[in-house]
Amino acid sequence: MSHTLTRSLAGLALLAALAAGCSSSSSPAKPSTPPSHSVTAPAHNSIPQNNGGDHDGDNNGGPSDGDGNL
Amino acid sequence: MSDRRRAIASLPRRVVGTAAVGVLAVAAVIAGVLAASASGTSGSSPARAFGLPAAGSAPAGWHRATLAGGAAVLAYPPVMQLVSSDRGAASAAQLSSSGEYLLYLNATPKQGDESLRNWPQFRLGHLTDDDASSAHELATISGVRFLGGTGTCVKDDYVTKVGAHHFTEIACFVQGRTSASVIVAAAPTASWASVSGLLGRAIAGYVVR
Repeated sequence: MSHTLTRSLAGLALLAALAAGCSSSSSPAKPSTPPSHSVTAPAHNSIPQNNGGDHDGDNNGGPSDGDGNL
Repeated sequence: MSDRRRAIASLPRRVVGTAAVGVLAVAAVIAGVLAASASGTSGSSPARAFGLPAAGSAPAGWHRATLAGGAAVLAYPPVMQLVSSDRGAASAAQLSSSGEYLLYLNATPKQGDESLRNWPQFRLGHLTDDDASSAHELATISGVRFLGGTGTCVKDDYVTKVGAHHFTEIACFVQGRTSASVIVAAAPTASWASVSGLLGRAIAGYVVR
């Protein structure tokens, strides 16, 4: 009888642990978002290209820098 | 009292003891699960999911460029060298023999209305307003831990207006205690998979104040 009761308690403990684990892992922080949208160029350009503006490489076909204005 | 009756009388105590052990075991498991869950939202793990290593000092032998006023320090690998950039900003690149960009890093102090909250939209809008004929957002992440601050990053690809070059980049707006700045890591989309690890290491080593 005691063995049966012990097994039942152990089983309940295991189920509780599994339930806790599942509830914790079912709502992880979502670190990234799937592709959401594309942006196309507006009609105007803030910086002239082809070596215009501030003469950055990014105005001559290079990668864009991190400026917020130019 | 017979042995049988004594055994029955002692049963509840054994049951209680066993149950206590079971409860402690469950508590330990739950504590472990909660601890693991907490560490998963600490900032470094989401960054790894985004393809960025956890923030950490740049590897030995890397060079460093400090923004004006010491607002931030950009670390770049020895294969790259400083190239021209806006005043107050720092750029490093590896160029091919024909002058094509192979690797690109840039750090620029905050200049406009960019913020942790609006960074992805700001960046893509700025790309198409400035340099790109089209830009496509691939992923975003907020709450990224940097050395000295917290950032919001966007991964995107775009095609330049000049030359129609196709680049992929990770661009992060990083807020430090006293200043805010942007770090950009870019490479030709065709080679992004092979160089993103190196560029990610540069982002992870970015220091802000």
